[in-house]
Amino acid sequence: MAVAKEVETKDKHIKNLANIVGGAQSILYKKEDLLAYDCDGFTIHRHLPKAVVFPKNTQEVANVVKYCHENNLPFLARGAGTGLSGGAIPLNGEVIISLVRMKRLLSVDLENRRAVVEPGFVNIKLTNSISDKGYYYAPDPSSQYCCTIGGNVAENAGGAHCLKYGVTTNHILGLEVVLPNGEIIEIGKNGILDPPGYDLLGLLTGSEGTLGIVTKITVRILKNPEAKQTVLAYFDKVLDASQAVSDIISAGIVPAALEMMDKIAIEGVEAAAFPVGHPKDIEALLLIEVDGISAGIDEQIHQILQVCKSRNVREVKVAQDEQERARWWANRKTGFGAMGAISPDYLVQDGVIPRSKLPEVLSRINQISEKYGLRIANIFHAGDGNLHPLVLFDARKPGETEKALEAGSACLQVCADVGGSITGEHGVGIEKREEMLFIFNDEEIIAQTDIRDVFNPKNLLNAGKLFPTPGRCVEVKKGMKEVITSSKHKIL
Amino acid sequence: MLIATELLTELMSILPEQQIRASGSENHPLGNDGRVTVYPKSEEEIATVLKYANDNGKTISIVGGGTKRGFGGLIESADILLSLADYTGIVEHTVGDMTLTVKSGTPFKELQEYLSKYHQKISLDPAWPEYATIGGIIAANESGPKRLGYGSARDAVIGIRVVYPNGTVIRTGGRVVKNVAGYDMNKLFIGSMGTLGVISEVTLKLRPLPKYESLILLSFLEENLEEIRSFVIKFLDSMMEPTSLELLSPSLSERVMGQNLYTLAISFEDVESSVHYQEDFVKNIQPAKTKMTIFQQTEAQSFWEQFYRIGPNGTKYVVSEEIEAALKIGVVNLDVLQVIKESQILQDSYNVAVAAHGGLGHGLCQVYLKGANEDIVSAINQLRDFVTRLGGYVIVKHLPLSLRQKVDVWGEKPSYFFLLEGIKSKIDPNRVLNHKRFVGGI
Ligand SMILES: Cc1cc2nc3c(=O)[nH]c(=O)nc-3n(C[C@H](O)[C@H](O)[C@H](O)COP(=O)(O)OP(=O)(O)OC[C@H]3O[C@@H](n4cnc5c(N)ncnc54)[C@H](O)[C@@H]3O)c2cc1C
Repeated sequence: MAVAKEVETKDKHIKNLANIVGGAQSILYKKEDLLAYDCDGFTIHRHLPKAVVFPKNTQEVANVVKYCHENNLPFLARGAGTGLSGGAIPLNGEVIISLVRMKRLLSVDLENRRAVVEPGFVNIKLTNSISDKGYYYAPDPSSQYCCTIGGNVAENAGGAHCLKYGVTTNHILGLEVVLPNGEIIEIGKNGILDPPGYDLLGLLTGSEGTLGIVTKITVRILKNPEAKQTVLAYFDKVLDASQAVSDIISAGIVPAALEMMDKIAIEGVEAAAFPVGHPKDIEALLLIEVDGISAGIDEQIHQILQVCKSRNVREVKVAQDEQERARWWANRKTGFGAMGAISPDYLVQDGVIPRSKLPEVLSRINQISEKYGLRIANIFHAGDGNLHPLVLFDARKPGETEKALEAGSACLQVCADVGGSITGEHGVGIEKREEMLFIFNDEEIIAQTDIRDVFNPKNLLNAGKLFPTPGRCVEVKKGMKEVITSSKHKIL
Repeated sequence: MLIATELLTELMSILPEQQIRASGSENHPLGNDGRVTVYPKSEEEIATVLKYANDNGKTISIVGGGTKRGFGGLIESADILLSLADYTGIVEHTVGDMTLTVKSGTPFKELQEYLSKYHQKISLDPAWPEYATIGGIIAANESGPKRLGYGSARDAVIGIRVVYPNGTVIRTGGRVVKNVAGYDMNKLFIGSMGTLGVISEVTLKLRPLPKYESLILLSFLEENLEEIRSFVIKFLDSMMEPTSLELLSPSLSERVMGQNLYTLAISFEDVESSVHYQEDFVKNIQPAKTKMTIFQQTEAQSFWEQFYRIGPNGTKYVVSEEIEAALKIGVVNLDVLQVIKESQILQDSYNVAVAAHGGLGHGLCQVYLKGANEDIVSAINQLRDFVTRLGGYVIVKHLPLSLRQKVDVWGEKPSYFFLLEGIKSKIDPNRVLNHKRFVGGI
C-alpha cells in the first residue's frame, strides 16, 4: 500500500483535512497551487481558497464537511468550475471541496430509464455511455464537454434543447446530499417520483451549492428521437426573425431547439474555430431543430419553412446530413468562446424575457450598447426567451471592466422591466446578487434566506452568494424602487 | 357554539358579512372542516383572514373545490374554513408567450375550455376536472396517466403568489418559462397540501393542443404478467412517444370498457400522420392472445373524460356502510405491474372491491378500494407492506376522517423529516394552516 504523503505545513486544519481525505495527494494548500481555484467561469472576482480537498467518496465529503462545521471553517463545493456567475469562487477563503474525483457512472437502468452518477461525472459522458443503446441525457449546456452533473444540479443548468425537454430540474429523480453539518441524506429513494413531503429535490436543484453538497444523483434518461431535422434561416431584419419565432410557436409546433444569433454574434462565430459561412450582412439567424416521430417531421419542417418565407427570410435551408447539422451546432454551441476572436474580453449575461418582447428588448439593448460605448452581441435561446447578451470589452483599458458590468446589469434591468428574469440558466452567484432586487422585494428575499437557514444555519456553506449583500440592499433598492413600482404589474 | 359566535363577530369586522357563513352543527365526515367558512374575493381578503388567525391563535383549513377533502388531515374542524370558491378567474393570458396566470379557485375544466379556443392547454390531467381547482391540484400535486408525456405540476408551474400565514404575499418564480433566479421556491408549495401558505395565483406554461390523438386499449386475454412486461419493455425501448402507458387492473377495465382483463391504455398525441404511424407500430408488435381497440379523437377524449371520474370525489361524499378509499402509490416504473397485480389479489382476500391503474413509464399508481371499515384498513396495510418491500410508498388520498386516524395517511416519516419540520416552523410557526394535514403531522 502506498504511504500517504505528509503535508508540509504547520496549519492544523490543513493537516487534519489532509488526514480526512487520505494524505497530501488529495489536498492543495500552497499558494501557487491555489491560484487556479481563485475563480470559476466568472473571472472578474477572485479570491484564494484556504485549501482544495479532493474526496473520493460520500463519507469523505461528509467528514470534511463535519470538520469544517465543527471548526467554523467556511467551505464550498466545486465541480468543473465552468459556472458563469461566480458560484464556486471562495469569497471567504473557503475550503473548496472538489468533486472531480467522484466521477463514476454508478448504474444505468434502461428499462426504468434512469442512471445514477457521482457528482463529478461530466455531463456529455452520460449520453456517450448510453448512446449505443439509443438513449441520452437531455440537459445539454453548451459546456457539457467539461461541466459536471453535480454542477448542473446546483445551477439547474439548461441548454439549447431544453425548450422541448426541460432543464436539469425536470430530469432529476433522486439526490444523495451531505448537509452543511455533515449529515448524509437521500431524497427520492430509488428515483421514485413524488416522495412524500415538501419537494426538496426541486428546492435543492438550482440552489447554487448553498443548501448542501450533492454526492449522488439519479437522473432520468430518454430514448433518442426517431428523427431529427435542423433548419438554418437568415434574416435581414431582427424583427422578422423574432416574428418567425412567435409564428412557429403559435403554429403549435414545439421545436426541440429554437436559437437566434444577431449580427455581432455571427461576426464572432464566423471569426472563431467553427465557421459555417453565414453571410456577414444579415441581422439575425435562426437555428431551428424539430425531432420526434419520423412520420410527423416533414409536415412540421414544411410549416417552419413557410413561416420563414412569410417573414421575408433571405435564405433558409434544411441540414442535408448529420455532418452539416453537427457543424451548425458546433458553431452555435461555441458561441460564447467565439467572442474571444473579436474582443479581448467579454461578459456573458443571462436574462429571460417573454418571447413576445424580443424586438423591444433588442432595441433597448442597442441603446445600452450605445450609451456605454461597448458592443453587445446577442445569443438567444429564442424559443424560451432566454437571452445571452455578450458585452465585449477590453479589461486592459482602465474603467472598461466596470462599464461592462454596468452595461450587463442594465440589460438585466430591461429583462426585469418587461416582466422577465435576471437569469435563465447561469445562476445568480456573486454576479447578480444585487440584481435580485430587480425582481424580488425584501420579504421575498427573506423568504428565501429563511429556507437557507433551515439547511445551512451557520451559513458556512458558500456564504455570500445568491442574495443581495444586506448593506447594499437598501441602497440599490432606493435606486430601483421607482422601476419596481412602475412596472409592478408586469413583473408580478 | 359560543366560540363560533365570537369568531363570527370578529370575522365580520374584517370581511363583508355575505362572505362569511357559520357551519351547521354537524361536522363533515371527511373532516378538514371549519366552524366558520369564509369566502374571500381578493388576495387582500385572504391576507386579512390569515393575519387575523395568525395573530389570534386561530386555525385555518383551506378548501378549493373540495374534491380532496378526504386527503390527509387529522382534525375534524379548524376554526376557519377558508374557501377559494369565490376567488376565481384569469388574471392574464399571454397567448403568444403561451403563459397563463390564474386565481387559485378557478376550476380546472373551465380553464381548459377557455384555453382550447386558443388551441392551448395546461398539460395536466387531474381527476374530477370540473370540480378540482387549479390551486388544489397544485397544492396536492395531482397528476394523471398523461404525466408520462407531459410531466406534472412541477414541470408546468412557473410562478406562484402565495399568502404566508402572517399575511405577507410572496411571489415565487415569475412569468417566464425559464428562470433560475434565487431558490426555486415554486417547488416548495407544489404538493405542500396547503401547510405553508395559501396559493392565491398560479402562472403556468401552456402547451399547444395536440393536432390529433388516439388511444389504443390493448387487453391481455391471459393473466400472464410476464407477457405484459415483455411487451412493455419492447415498446418502451422503441422510439415511439406515448403520452400514456397505463396498466388497468381487470376490475377497472371491466368498469370502463366491459372487459375483465389486464389492459394497457396507450395514448398518442401528435400530428395525425405521426399518431397513425405509431398505432401501426403497436399493431406490428401486438402480442398473441391480446385484443386491441383503437379510439380516435373524440372517442379517445371521452374515454379519458370518463376515466378521470373513476375515483372518489370529496364533494360527493355520502355516508354509507361501504366506504371508499383511494391510494397513490409510487414505485420504480416497471414495478407498477406487481402493484396492480397485488391490488387485484387484495380484492379476493379482503372482501373489498378494488380498481387500480398505474403508469409503466412513470411508476405512479392509483388504487381505489370499496368495502367495510376493517377490510379497508387491512387491505391498505397489506398493500403498504407489499409496496414498502418494493422500496416504494403508499399515500392515502381519500378516506373518511375516522379511518384516517387509524391508518397512517403518509406512511413513515422520511429520515430528513427535520428539514420538512424546519421549513414548516419557519413559515408557519403558529401552525395556523392545515395543521396535521401533511407528512409526520405537519
Ligand atoms: C462556455 C460555457 C458555456 C456554457 N453554457 C451553458 C449553457 O448552455 N447552459 C447552462 O445552463 N450553463 C452554461 N454554462 C455555465 C456552466 O457550465 C453551468 O452552470 C454548469 O452547470 C456548471 O457546472 P460545473 O461542474 O462547472 O460547476 P462549478 O462551476 O464548479 O460550480 C457551480 C456551482 O455549483 C456548486 N456545485 C458544484 N458541484 C456541486 C455539488 N456536487 N453539490 C453542490 N453544489 C455544487 C458550486 O459551489 C457552484 O456554486 C456555460 C459555461 C461556459 C464556460
